[in-house]
Amino acid sequence: MKFAFYPGCVARGAAPELYKSTMLVVDKLGIELEEIEKAACTGAGVLQEKNQKLGDVLNIRTLALAEQMGLSIMTICSTCQGVISQANHRVVKDPEYLAEINKELEKEGLHYSGKTEVKHLLWILLEDIGIKSLQDMFNIDLSSFNFAPFYGCYLIRPSDALGITENPKRKHSLDIVIESTGASATDYAGKTRCCGFPILLINQKNSLKMVAKHTGDAKDEGADAMVTPCPLCHLNLDGYQAKARRQNNRGKADLPILHLPQLIGMAMGLDAKELGINKHLVSTANFIKSIKTKVS
Amino acid sequence: MSKHDLLIIGAGLAGLRAAVEGVRQGLNVAVITKVHPVRSHSNAAQGGINAALTDRGDDWEDHALATIKGSDYLADQDAVEVMCREAGEAIIELENMGVIFSRDEEGKLGTRAFGGQKKARTYFVGAITGSALLHVLYEQSVKYNLHIYEEWFVTKLIKQDGKIAGAIAFDIKTGQMELITAKAVVLATGGAGRVFEPSTNALICTGDGLSLAMQVGAPLMDTEMIQYHPTTLAGNGILLSEAARGDGAYLINSEGDRFMEKYAPDYMELASRDVVSRAEQTEIDEGRGVDGCVYLDLRHLGKKFIEERLGYLQEVALEFRGIDLSESPIPIKPGMHYIMGGIKTDLNGATNIPGLYAAGECANVSVHGANRLGANSLLDTIVFGRRAAVDSVEYIKSAGSLNVDERELSKEKSRIQNILDRPKGMRSAELRNKMGTAMTKGIGVWRDKDSITEAITKMKNLRGQLPNVFIENKGKVFNTDLVSYLELEFMVDVAESICHGADKRLESRGAHFRTDMKSRNDSDWLKHTLVQFAGEELNTTTSDVTITDWQPTERVY
Amino acid sequence: MEAQIKVKRFNPENGAKPFFQDYSIDVSEDSTILDGLIKIREEQDGTLALRCSCRASICGSCSMKVNGSAKLVCKTRIKEVSPQGETVTVEPMSNFPVIKDLVTEMDSFWSKVKSIDPYVKTNFEPEAEHIASNESMTHLLGVMNCIMCGACVSECTALEVDSTFTGPAALAKAYRFVADPRDEDKKERLGKLNESSGVWDCSRCLACVEVCPKDVAPMERIVKMRDLAIEEGYTNTSGFRHTESFSDSIKKHGRLDETRLALESTGLLNISGLIDLAVIGIKSLFKGKIPPPLPHKPKEADKVTNIAKRLDSEESEE
Repeated sequence: MKFAFYPGCVARGAAPELYKSTMLVVDKLGIELEEIEKAACTGAGVLQEKNQKLGDVLNIRTLALAEQMGLSIMTICSTCQGVISQANHRVVKDPEYLAEINKELEKEGLHYSGKTEVKHLLWILLEDIGIKSLQDMFNIDLSSFNFAPFYGCYLIRPSDALGITENPKRKHSLDIVIESTGASATDYAGKTRCCGFPILLINQKNSLKMVAKHTGDAKDEGADAMVTPCPLCHLNLDGYQAKARRQNNRGKADLPILHLPQLIGMAMGLDAKELGINKHLVSTANFIKSIKTKVS
Repeated sequence: MSKHDLLIIGAGLAGLRAAVEGVRQGLNVAVITKVHPVRSHSNAAQGGINAALTDRGDDWEDHALATIKGSDYLADQDAVEVMCREAGEAIIELENMGVIFSRDEEGKLGTRAFGGQKKARTYFVGAITGSALLHVLYEQSVKYNLHIYEEWFVTKLIKQDGKIAGAIAFDIKTGQMELITAKAVVLATGGAGRVFEPSTNALICTGDGLSLAMQVGAPLMDTEMIQYHPTTLAGNGILLSEAARGDGAYLINSEGDRFMEKYAPDYMELASRDVVSRAEQTEIDEGRGVDGCVYLDLRHLGKKFIEERLGYLQEVALEFRGIDLSESPIPIKPGMHYIMGGIKTDLNGATNIPGLYAAGECANVSVHGANRLGANSLLDTIVFGRRAAVDSVEYIKSAGSLNVDERELSKEKSRIQNILDRPKGMRSAELRNKMGTAMTKGIGVWRDKDSITEAITKMKNLRGQLPNVFIENKGKVFNTDLVSYLELEFMVDVAESICHGADKRLESRGAHFRTDMKSRNDSDWLKHTLVQFAGEELNTTTSDVTITDWQPTERVY
Repeated sequence: MEAQIKVKRFNPENGAKPFFQDYSIDVSEDSTILDGLIKIREEQDGTLALRCSCRASICGSCSMKVNGSAKLVCKTRIKEVSPQGETVTVEPMSNFPVIKDLVTEMDSFWSKVKSIDPYVKTNFEPEAEHIASNESMTHLLGVMNCIMCGACVSECTALEVDSTFTGPAALAKAYRFVADPRDEDKKERLGKLNESSGVWDCSRCLACVEVCPKDVAPMERIVKMRDLAIEEGYTNTSGFRHTESFSDSIKKHGRLDETRLALESTGLLNISGLIDLAVIGIKSLFKGKIPPPLPHKPKEADKVTNIAKRLDSEESEE
C-alpha cells in the first residue's frame, strides 16, 4: 500500500513528534509513503479568506503532483485534509472552474483530472487497512484506558466535501479507532467542536475558553488522555491547556493530548518516548507510567 | 392596560405594511401577532407580485381586465381599479425598501409570466417572493422601531358604544392576559386554510380574524370562493408555485399529453387557477391520472434555470418527494390554497364596525371575486394594508377617548379558565380533523346541493361538540393545547360561513363550481353573498357587485 | 411504521429538571419528524410544547436538535435519521434558553439581528427602482434564503463560549446589506462589524455551514466580510495581521512559518501578548520542539511564489 504523503506544515514544524510517530506507525502498518516534496501549505482556510483562488490553485497543484506520481494522498492533519478536500470538491462539481485552474497549473507543466483521492491516516486505518487487520497489529491491551476523541472541525465539516455521505463511518472514525485498541472512547460534548486554534491569535480569551471546556469536560468524563488527528488542535489543546484551565477555573492542566499515530503506536507496543509522547507541554509522565502499570 | 391609537392584529405583509404606514403617519401603533413576524404565512407566496408599470409600456387597465376576468366578474371593479392603479407605486416602494427583485438586462425590474394574463407583469425574487418581501417589511419594522406584541394570542375584540375599542389577548410565553385598547384595529390575520384538510396553508392559518370580526357583527363576503391551487404535492399538500408554469412548465396526464390544450387552448397551463384545477380534476376523474394526481413537468427547462429561478421548488421536490425536477415530472393535484372571501370592507379596508379595518387574505374588498389571479395576493396585502392605515388616521382623530370597562378582561379571563377547567373529553385535533375532511368533501373543486347540505349538517354538529373538548395542558407557559382549541373555535365559525355561502349561491362561478348548476347566471347572481351572525344563528344575504367599465362576458381561456 | 421518539422535556412551572420522555407513534413511511411530533401532541400528549407552522421549510419555526445537531424538523424525514427504526432524540436548540420543552427563547437572537441595522440605507429615494445588475441581486438570493430559524446559532462554537458574539445568523444578515449595491452605509457597517464580537470572532469551525437548512453558508459570508473590511482599510486588528502574515508566509516560503505568524498576529507593540508567546516558546524549547527559525521549505518553493504573484495581481485587477 503506497501513498503520496502530505505531512503539512505543523508536522514539519512545531510538532516534529507527529512526523516521527507517523513514520514509525506507517512502517508497521505496511504503508509506503512518498512525500510530495514540492507541495505548498494548504492555506488552512486563512489564505482562502484573502484569495480563495490562490488557495485553490495551490491545493489543486498538490493533487496534480500526486496524480503525476500516480498515487492517492495521505494526510495527517484534519485541517490539511479538510482544506484540500474542499478545494477538490469545488473543482469536481464545477468543470469550468477546474479548467480555469488547470490553465494556471499548465504553466508549470501540471494538469489535474479531478480524480486524486485524499485521505487522512484515520480514514486509511478504517477503509484501507481495516479495523480487523489493524487489531491484528496491536500488541498491547488498552482496555483499562479511556481516550477522548477530538476530531478537529475540518475532518467532519462540511460533510459533502469530505465524502461523509458516501462513507458515513468517517463521522465516527476516531471513536471506532479508539475502541479498536480496546480502550473506551469518552463521550463528551466537545468532541466535534472547535479547539479554538483559529482564533488563538485573534481572540485568545474565547480560544482558551474552548480549550478549557473541552479538556475539562473530557477529564470530568473520565478520560485518561485526549486523542486528535489534527496537529493544530493539538497545538492549542496541549500548548495552551495550562493557561486555559487556570483562566477558566477548570483546575490544572492534567489531560495529556496525543496525536493519532501516538495512540496507534502505543497499541502496537512501541516505546512511548520513541513516539514522542513525552514531548508534549502538558505533563505525560504519569500517563506514561500508567501504560506500564495499567497494562501489566 | 396598554393604550394605542392603532392596533394591528397579524404581522404578515398586510399587517406590517399597515403598521409601517401608521408609524409614518405619526400614530401610536402596535402590532400583535401569535407568531414572530417572519414566521407569518406571507412567506409561502412563491411566484411573485403583479404590477403594470407604465414606464415600460404596461397598462393598469389591462391588469384590471385580467383580474376581473379571472374573478369571473365577481370582483368589485372600483376596488380592482384601486389595486391595479396603485400597484406600480407599491412595487417601486418595495424595491426602495430593499427587496432584491430580479432584474432585466438593463438592471431594471424583470418579470415572469403568470396565470390568467397574457402580459408578463409578475415581479419576483427567485421562488421566495413572499418570504423576501416579508423579511424586508420586518426590516422596516426594525427601522421604525415598531412596537410588537410578539407571540400574543387575541381571543376577543372589544367594542364600546358600537365602535371598536381594542382587543383582549394573552402572552403565549407567560399566559398573562391583557386588555389592549386602541381607537382603531386592523385585522390582518391572513387566511383560514386549516378549515380544510389537506391545505397548502400553514398551521397558523386558522381564520382568527374572520371569526373575531363576525363576533363583533361584521359580515363575511363570498366565503364560498375557495381557491384550489392546481399544483400541490400529494399527501401533505405543500405548494409548488405557479412560477413553474409561468416559467414554462407543462402539465401532463398519465398518457403524457399536455391536456390543457382541451380546456384552455389559448392560455394552456396559464389559464386561471380554477380552470386549471378543474381540468386536472377532470383528467383524474376520467382515469388519466396516477394515484389521484397528474404531473407537473419541468424537465425541458434545464437544471441551471430551475435552480436559479425556481430553487425553492427544487428544494421542496427533493426534500419531500426525492424528485429532481430537471430529471422527472412530479405528481401534483389541486389543493385547497386560498380563500377569496373574507371580512367585507370598503376601498379603504373599513368594515361596517366603526374603527374596525381588515386587509389581506382575511379581508374581502373585493378584488379577487370568484377566483384570484396568481401574484395578486401579495399586491392585495401591500396596497390595502397601506390604505387601511391611512384611512384610520382621520378616524382616530375623531374617535374621542376610550373608556373601556375593565370587567371585559375579567369576563374573558373566566371564559378561558372555564375552558381549561373542563375535566375531560375529546382532544381538539380530533374535532379539527373531522372538520377538515368534511369541508374538503363538501366544498371541494366540485360541489352540489347534497355535498353542501351534508357539510352544513356536519359543521352544526361539530359546533355542538366544542364544549366536549378538553385541554390536557393546564399550564400557563406556552400552552399550545389551549391555543389550538381557541383556534378551533374560530375555525368552526369560518367553516360554517363557508358552507352557508356555498349553499346560498345557486350557480357556478369561478372557484364555486356546482355540478348541479353548471353555468354562470349573471341575471340572478352578479351578487356577493354575505354571512353574518344574527344572534346565535348565521344569516345569509346578498349585495350587488360593483361594475364600472367592464361588462361581464363569456370567460374563455 | 412505528417510530420511537425521545423528547427532552422541560416545564418551568413544576420546578422539575429537564428529563427525556419516550414516545412511540404510528406514522407513514414518508413522515417527517415534525409530523411525528404533531401526532404526539395531538393524540398522546397535549402538554408537549413546540413551535411549527408552514411544514414546508420556509417559516423557520421548527429548528430543534435531532440526534445532537440542529435541523428543521419539517424537512427531516424520520426514515432519514432512523433507517432501521432507531430511537430519534429531539431536543431544543443549544445556545438558547429553553422556555418549555422544545420551545426556546429567541430574544437575544433578534436583538443581535437588530444590532446590525438590518435595513437598506440609502441617501436618496429614487423616482423609480434602483438600477442594479441581476447578478448582484441573484447573489443576494443566497443570504435572502435565510429564514432565521436559528440552527446556525444553536451550533455555533464561538457563541458557546462567548454569548456576546454577534453570531452566524445576524452576521449573514449583515452581509445581505454589505453586499447590496443599493446600500450606502457599507463602510460604516464594516467598521462596526470589524469591532470585537464581530466578524473576527468567528472560529471558522464550519458548524453553521454544515447545519444551515437553506444553504446560506453564514461562515463564508463572515469570511467575505473580513476581506471587505480590509479592503475598506480596517487593518488595525490582530485578525488582519494574522491573515496577512499567514498569506505572506505561504507566498514567500510556500509554507506556514508558525513563529513569525504568532509574533506578527500578536502585534509587535503588544508587550503582554509577546511575553505570553515567549513563555509557551520557552516551554516548547525545553521539550525540544520549537519550530526551526528558518521554516522547512517545499522543494522549488519559487514555483509557489510565482503562482502567488500572478494570482495576487490578478485579484487586485478585479
